[in-house]
Amino acid sequence: MGLNAKSWWRGVFALGALSLTTFNLPANAEDGGNLYNTDYDVAQGRSYFERQCSRCHGFDAKGNDETGAPDLTGRLNRASSDVGIFNILRNGIAGTAMLPVPETLPDTLVWQLVAFVNSLSADPANIVLPGSIAAGADLFTGKGACNACHMISGKGGRLGPDLTFVGDRRSPEELVADLIMPNQDVEPRWWRLRITGRDGITREGFRMNESSFSLRIMDEDDNLWSYANNQIANYERIEDSTMPSYAQTLTDSEVDDLVAFLFSLRKEN
Amino acid sequence: MQRLIGFLFLAVTSFGVIAQEEPFQTVITPAFSPITWDRLVNADAEPENWLMYSGTLSSQRYSRLNQITTANVDELELKWAYQIPVIDRAETVPLVVDGIMFITEAPSNLVAVDARTGGIYWRYDHEMPDDILICCGRNNRGVAILGETLFMSTLDARLVALDARTGNVLWNVAVADYKAGYSKTAAPLIVKDKVVTGIAGGEFGIRGFIDAYDAATGERVWRTYTIPGEGEPGNESWAGDSWKTGGAATWITGSYDPDLNLVYWGTGNPGPDWNGDVREGDNLYSDSAMALNGDTGELVWHFQFTPHDVHDYDSIQVPILADINYQGSQRKVMMWANRNAFYYTIDRETGRFLVGKPYAAQTWAQGLDVNGRPIRVPGMEPTYEGVLVSPPIVGGTNWYSPGFSQDTGYFYVTAFDGEQEFFKRDEDYEEGQRYTGGGGRYTQPMDAFHSSIRAIDPATAEIVWEFPIQPRSSAGITTTAGGLVFTGSADGFFFALNARTGEELWHMSLGARVHAAPMTFAVDGKQYVTIASGNVVYTFGLRD
Repeated sequence: MGLNAKSWWRGVFALGALSLTTFNLPANAEDGGNLYNTDYDVAQGRSYFERQCSRCHGFDAKGNDETGAPDLTGRLNRASSDVGIFNILRNGIAGTAMLPVPETLPDTLVWQLVAFVNSLSADPANIVLPGSIAAGADLFTGKGACNACHMISGKGGRLGPDLTFVGDRRSPEELVADLIMPNQDVEPRWWRLRITGRDGITREGFRMNESSFSLRIMDEDDNLWSYANNQIANYERIEDSTMPSYAQTLTDSEVDDLVAFLFSLRKEN
Repeated sequence: MQRLIGFLFLAVTSFGVIAQEEPFQTVITPAFSPITWDRLVNADAEPENWLMYSGTLSSQRYSRLNQITTANVDELELKWAYQIPVIDRAETVPLVVDGIMFITEAPSNLVAVDARTGGIYWRYDHEMPDDILICCGRNNRGVAILGETLFMSTLDARLVALDARTGNVLWNVAVADYKAGYSKTAAPLIVKDKVVTGIAGGEFGIRGFIDAYDAATGERVWRTYTIPGEGEPGNESWAGDSWKTGGAATWITGSYDPDLNLVYWGTGNPGPDWNGDVREGDNLYSDSAMALNGDTGELVWHFQFTPHDVHDYDSIQVPILADINYQGSQRKVMMWANRNAFYYTIDRETGRFLVGKPYAAQTWAQGLDVNGRPIRVPGMEPTYEGVLVSPPIVGGTNWYSPGFSQDTGYFYVTAFDGEQEFFKRDEDYEEGQRYTGGGGRYTQPMDAFHSSIRAIDPATAEIVWEFPIQPRSSAGITTTAGGLVFTGSADGFFFALNARTGEELWHMSLGARVHAAPMTFAVDGKQYVTIASGNVVYTFGLRD
């Protein structure tokens, strides 16, 4: 029924687009949202994206530091709505390498591209989780003792990522995996370096930065250390996580609660 | 000889002024004498100047300047910085002519500055249409000079000639149709009285070529397509009509041997990049070195590094020419570390393969056969689901210049040991649309990989030393008679290594990725070294 309704509206929209062209109104989309968001539209958008956009944004749309193209799979920094995405696609972003799509590209395809970009991150408002946010918050500071290492809104430890807006960058599935299998996907920032200096002293800490000519770490007492390469006798990388797995310490429903709490940590909340 | 005397005279004058400690030093506008073809052929004899993108026609990027040495390089200090007003990454290698530096900027602008201070003489802002099609950034890598004229490629696929004293436009010609996806980013190469230049657009189904233009008039003298037309030898290496949209772009600067009258130029990937199903065959002359007659553009020989490439392993590298001892006899060779992760030494008179080995991580080939043709590992072609291959799309190296030292005899390259999942997709060609047939995806964070500066012995293709840096560097290399290798890194360092041992002698954090190659020059008897980092061009010299 929903799909049929959308199809009907699509016809009306196409007529509207035609009249826009006739009257030479600006190409910006100003209202109406995206009416091209079926699976078919997403697939069309993906096809265009892989061909035209992936060189900078990556085949997986996770961005590219080298080109400066941002990750499109989480919260978007420059657009908060379908119309916002549409306008960026149509107009580009001045002063950056983000060029507009060709003028000749039909609005339909631009909306399909919007649908694809949206498909990369599910709308959190539509996600219903089994756990209790309140119970998760208690676990965070109680049985889980997560706050010993993680900060939320300036409160907590420094020995893990700041979780203030973790719900914007991790899906519920990823949060479950983070809790159960913390070694699976460790960001390089949270790798550790064990460094022995030329003075014979060995220090270990989180890998804050590893450059071509120097290293910087934070040890478990929150001390910051910087080494020039010529001060180092040897060092090794440890690429697993310092976080324990909660597979045994928390029950399944407690994991659900904690995930519900963590996923609620988003900017709109 | 006269040039050299002029240089020494200037140097003596300058030192004289310093010795007298006069409070107000007169600023002498440097002499600017026309750059004749003879001066370009003998560019290595006037190392105070950097007269072309790769320094000399042989592209060794070796300077005879030896004031900055292994013993004093740690005394380098910043002399001046020039901020490029258009925000983009700088890939420029400036020229220096008699104390004047010419710096190209994104997207296709040019500025002339005093090489001692960075003070501006003039600038040229190229008028650019707003519907250009580019694959990989708004870059320009440098200019060429002949007489008193500078020649610059522009992103809208034009070639512009500018008066070197004023920046006035002398002529401005269309090389190709930018609306069909053609663009130009590389510095042209002067060959006698001609401007030889390539084309970009290999991701848009173009048909690549190398052109020569009359330097005086801008009229095209010859064009050699990198993909043979119907009825020409090699056309049969493309299935059906795929040759018409086969890419093989030529987006970096080539080299020239005046004795052999051969222009050497690398060619890019066949298109579509990652789906070879629509272009069965070797796809000549994609991913090749082409040797062309400098007067006519006629193809004399070719060497294809990656037949039927499906990984975007462009042979867009600057060919380095040198005469080396190979198995007991002196040979005219061409050295080439390819994006496909193999290093090659090739006889540049005949195109015959001499020796080659991997210089970076690779999983796509078991090795090279006696003719230098890769022996492929089965199952490494991109699939719809993705297949993990080394090197990744960016390659073992890429367009950034390698170097060669006449003192050590080593070839130096920025190498990347990475891997990527390659995908293929079905796509139809549409003019002006990207035509790549797939793409790639990293399965690990970039920090999991490794980059190095590697020194290679061209007689054996063996790695002599390596200096590890953070991935993934895209800096070029320059060597000097001071025993140094200058280069940069992805994490924004500019540094100097001992050319013989790889030992680090000096480094400086410039705060932004180095996307360009260094160059060195001298004014008033003082040697400088210049590098672009981020959006800024920095010039260093020894302490006064």
